[in-house]
Amino acid sequence: MAASGVSGYAAISARVRAMYSSLLSPQDLAKLSDSPDFSSLIGQLKNTVYAPYLEDLKDKELTPGRVDSKIKGRLADFYYSVIHMSPEHARPIIKQLYRYFEVQNLKAVLRGIVTDPSWERVHNVLFPMGTMTVLPAQAMVEAGNVSAAVELLQGTMYYETLSFAMKRYSAEQSLFPLEVALDLYYWRQLWQEAKKLQGQDRDQALRIVGSLMDMNNLMWVIRYRVYHQLSEEELINYTLPFGYHVRDADVRAIAAGADLAAVVGRVYPGIPDVNMLLEEPRSGLPQLEQQLKRHVMKQCLAAFTGNPFHIGLPLAFLVLGDLEIQDLTVLIEAKSSQMSDEEFRPYLIRSVAA
Amino acid sequence: MFFPKAMTEIELIVPSKDLLAVTRVLSGYGVFHQTDSNNYAGVATGSASTWQEQAAAYSMLERRLQTVLQALGIDEGQPPLADFDAMVDLEKMRPLVEQIEEDVKQSSDHLTSERKHLEQLESTLHQLEPVADINLDISSLRNSRYLYSLIGVIPAANVDRLQTSLARVPNVFLTLRSDLAKPVVWLAGTKANSDVLERAARSAYLDPLSLPDGYSGTPAKIIESLRKTIEETQQKISELKVILAKFAESRKQELRNLLWQAHTSRVLSDAIVRYGQLRHTYVVTGWVTLADMESLTQRLKQASKEILIETTPTSRSGHQPNVPVALVTNRWLRPIQMLVGQYGHPSYGELDPTLLMAFTFPFLFGAMFGDLGQGLVLLILGILIDNKIIMKGMQGLGLLIAYCGASAAFFGYLYGSIFGFEGHLIEEYLHFHFEPTWFSPLENILGILSIAIDTGIVILILGFLLSMFNNIRSRDWAHLLFGHSGVVAFAFYLSFLALLGEFLGDTAIAPKVAVAINSLPLPFPALAGIFALLVMFSGFFRNVVEGHRPLIEGTGVGGIAMFLVQSFMDIFETVISMLSNTLSFVRVGAFAVAHGGLSLAIFSLAGEKPDLGFWITILIGNIFIIGFEGLIVGIQTMRLHYYEILGKFFHGGGMRFEPLTLTPSTEEG
Repeated sequence: MAASGVSGYAAISARVRAMYSSLLSPQDLAKLSDSPDFSSLIGQLKNTVYAPYLEDLKDKELTPGRVDSKIKGRLADFYYSVIHMSPEHARPIIKQLYRYFEVQNLKAVLRGIVTDPSWERVHNVLFPMGTMTVLPAQAMVEAGNVSAAVELLQGTMYYETLSFAMKRYSAEQSLFPLEVALDLYYWRQLWQEAKKLQGQDRDQALRIVGSLMDMNNLMWVIRYRVYHQLSEEELINYTLPFGYHVRDADVRAIAAGADLAAVVGRVYPGIPDVNMLLEEPRSGLPQLEQQLKRHVMKQCLAAFTGNPFHIGLPLAFLVLGDLEIQDLTVLIEAKSSQMSDEEFRPYLIRSVAA
Repeated sequence: MFFPKAMTEIELIVPSKDLLAVTRVLSGYGVFHQTDSNNYAGVATGSASTWQEQAAAYSMLERRLQTVLQALGIDEGQPPLADFDAMVDLEKMRPLVEQIEEDVKQSSDHLTSERKHLEQLESTLHQLEPVADINLDISSLRNSRYLYSLIGVIPAANVDRLQTSLARVPNVFLTLRSDLAKPVVWLAGTKANSDVLERAARSAYLDPLSLPDGYSGTPAKIIESLRKTIEETQQKISELKVILAKFAESRKQELRNLLWQAHTSRVLSDAIVRYGQLRHTYVVTGWVTLADMESLTQRLKQASKEILIETTPTSRSGHQPNVPVALVTNRWLRPIQMLVGQYGHPSYGELDPTLLMAFTFPFLFGAMFGDLGQGLVLLILGILIDNKIIMKGMQGLGLLIAYCGASAAFFGYLYGSIFGFEGHLIEEYLHFHFEPTWFSPLENILGILSIAIDTGIVILILGFLLSMFNNIRSRDWAHLLFGHSGVVAFAFYLSFLALLGEFLGDTAIAPKVAVAINSLPLPFPALAGIFALLVMFSGFFRNVVEGHRPLIEGTGVGGIAMFLVQSFMDIFETVISMLSNTLSFVRVGAFAVAHGGLSLAIFSLAGEKPDLGFWITILIGNIFIIGFEGLIVGIQTMRLHYYEILGKFFHGGGMRFEPLTLTPSTEEG
C-alpha cells in the first residue's frame, strides 16, 4: 500500500507543493487588504501571481465582476493540473470536487433564465471551466425557459436529478427545489467518491470532504430553519445524513428545534462565542460560516504535515486555492464599494493584521 | 532553441473590397494570432456592430444546423475538400436552413412528443405493476375518508432520508419495487397527518402517480390498457424514425456542406469583428512568427494588391506580457517540454529552460541511479514505450525514460556497477573484469556527498546567472539588483559559500567550490555582513529603484517596527533557504550511495551460492530497484528541478500563441 501510495502520488505531491508555495503569502494578502481603493487593489494584484489572469483585461473592463471572474481562472488551472497529474484512482473524487463549480454554474444559468436571459450577463458570472464541463450553458440560456434548458441536459449526470425536481418547479415556479436537489446530489456523489477510496486516501478524503460537507450541512439546516422556517421533516429531507464532525443526530436535533448554540458548541468546541453569534442568528450566521471556513482551512493545512503521498494533499490544496479566491472576492467587493477595514476584515477567511 | 520563436507584430491596412480575401488568408493557414484592433487610433466606436450581428447570426445558423444534424443522427464529418472562398450570404442560407428545419421539425417534434408519451406510459406502468394483484379501484385509494395514501417514484438516494424524516409520524412506508434509480414506494398514514406526510413526500422529491386521462378501474385493467397503448406508441416511433432516416440519407452531404459553410463564415466574421474599421479600410493587428512572416506576406499580397503591411519585429528585451509565445517544438525534447509546461509557460523574451533541463534532468537522475545494466534496461524500456510497443498510455514519457536510462548507464560505467554487482562480485559471479572508471560511491561516501553539494552549488550559481540574464533582458533593474536571485543575493550567496568553506575547512565533506571561493583574497565576513544588510532591506531598495512610493509600507513607529521585523525575517528566510537549497543536492550523492546499498541488501538476501534461488533473487531485486528506486529517484530529480533550479530564474506566465484557423480540430489544439 505504501509503495503504491508513493508511486501514485509522487509526481502530484511534488507539483502540489510547488503550486502551494505560489499561494498568496500573508504579506501579499496584507498588502492587498491595505490597498486604499479598487484600482490600487488591481494594481497590487498585478504584482502577484494573478497578474497573467488580469493582463488581457482592458481598463474599461476592470469591473469587480470581470476581475473576479478572471482570477478564478487560476483555480481552474490548478484543477486542470491536479486532475491531469493525479493517479487514475484519485481522479474521480477530484473531478467531483471540481463539479462544485459546474453545479454553481448550472444554478447561475437557471437563475439567469428566470431573471434576465442574456447570455452575456450570465456568461460573466460563470466559473471558467473551459472544456471540462458538460453544460451547454449558452444553449440553455438561449432556450429561454427552465424546462427546455433542463431538457438540454439529457445525457448528463444532472438530468435525472433535475427531472425529478422539475415536477416541483412546474408546480411551485421556484428554483429552490431545483437548487436543493442539485446540492444534495453533488454532495452525495462527493461523499460516495470519498468512500470508494481505500486506506489513508479514504481517511484523508473523508476528513477534507467531510469538513466541507459539515460546513454546508450545518449552514443549510440552520438557514432553512431560521430564514425559511421549514418543518422538521423538510429540514431532514433537505440535508445530508453524513459528515465528518456533524452527525445525523446533530442535524435532526436542530431540525427538531434544539438550541442552535448548544448543538454547534458541542460539535465545534473550538469556535469561540457561539452563544453570542447565534443570539441573533441573522447577523451571526455569516460570522459562523466564516468560523467554519477557517476550521476547514485548518483541516487542509494539516494535510501538508506528515506523509504527503495520499489524496489529502491535492484535495487540501484545491480547497485552499478556493478559499484564497473567496478572500480575494471579499477584497474586490469591499474595495469597489469602499467599505472600511472594520466592515470587511471579519469576512476574510485568512486573518490579516490590520 | 533557448527562447520561444521570434515573433513579429503585424499591422495591416486592408481595403474594404479585399476584406474577405485577406481574412481568408489570415484564418486559413494557422499562423496568425489576432489581437483586438478596435482600440486602434481613429477607429470609430461601434464600427464592429454590423459584423458582430453577422457573426451572431452565423453562430446561430451553425448551432441550428448542428441541432438538425443531431436530430437526424448525422455526424459532422470531416471538413469537405471544397474550398469556400467567401462567406455565404445570410439571406440565402437562412431560408434554406429554415426549410430544412421545417422539414425535419415536423417529424422530429412528433417523435419527441411520442417518446415523452411513451416514457410517461412506461413510468405509470412501472408504478402500477407492483400493485397489479390488488382488486380495488385505484381512485378509491385517493379518495379514502380516513387514510392518506400515496404511490409514486422517488430518487433512490432519498428513500432512507424520507423514512428518517417521518420517524415521529405514524405511517406505513413500503418499497413496492426496488429500482437502482427510481424505486416505487407507497406511503400511507392517517388523514389527520396528511399535511405532514405530503410535505415530507414533496421535500423528498416523491413524484406521485398520476394516471393519464381515460384510465380508471383496477390496476390490472389499467395495466392492460397501458400495454396496448405502449405498443401503438412504439409502432408510431418506428415509423417516424424511418421517415427521418430517409431524409437524413438524402440530405446528408448537403447538410454537412451547409454546416461547414456556416462554420467558416462564423470564424471569418468573428475575426472581422476584432478588426478596426476606418473610413474605407480596415485595420488588422496581430502576431506572426518570424519564420512564417514571408510566406504570409506573399499570400496577403496575392489576396489584395493594395494592402499595406507594416511589420515590427519584436525585441526579446523588456517585459513583453502581450506577446504571444510559440515554443520551438522538437520531437526529441517533447517530454522535457511537458515537464517544463507543468511548471509554467515561458513568457516572451524569457529563457525557455527546456534545453537546460534536457541536460540537467537525465544528468541528476543518472548520478543518483548509476548502474550500467539497469540504465540500459531503462533505455530499452524507454524506446519500447516511445514506440508504443509496451505501456501505450505512457508514450509521452518514453523518451524521458530512455534519456534517464542512458545517463544512468553512463554513470554506472563511471561507478563500476552493473545490475548491482560491483568490484569483486563482478569477477566472482559474472566472470569478467569491470573496474569503476571513476569511483564507487559506496567506497567514498563523503567524497560523493561533497561532489553532490559542489554540483548543486554550480547549478544554483547557474540559476542565479540565468535569473540575472532574464532580468537584464526584461530590463527589470530593481529585481536584477535586489531581487531574490539578483546581484546582491548572488553576492551574498558567494560570501555565504566562502564562510561555509571556511567553517568546513579541509574536512572530507567540505564543498570544493566553497573552499575555492574562500581562498580568494577578499574579506568575506565583512562582505557577508554588508550583503546581508542589503538583502535584508532589498524590498526598500527595490522601491527606491522602481520609484515606488511609499518606500516603507505603513506609517509611524509601528510601521517602521513592522518593516524591521519583516526585514529581519527576510534575511533569516534567505539564509535558511540558501543553506537548504545548497544542501538539498546532498540527496544526489545520498541516492547514489543508497543505490549501491540497496543492491548489497539484495545480495545478502540472495546468499553466496550462485544457484537458481540466487539468480531469481537477483532478478527480482533488480526489477524492484528499477521500478521502485527508479521512480523515487525520478521524483527527487523532478523535485530538485521544480524547487531548487527552475524557481531561481524561470517565472512562466506567458500567453500561448493561438492562431486563427478554420478547421475545428486545429482550433482547439
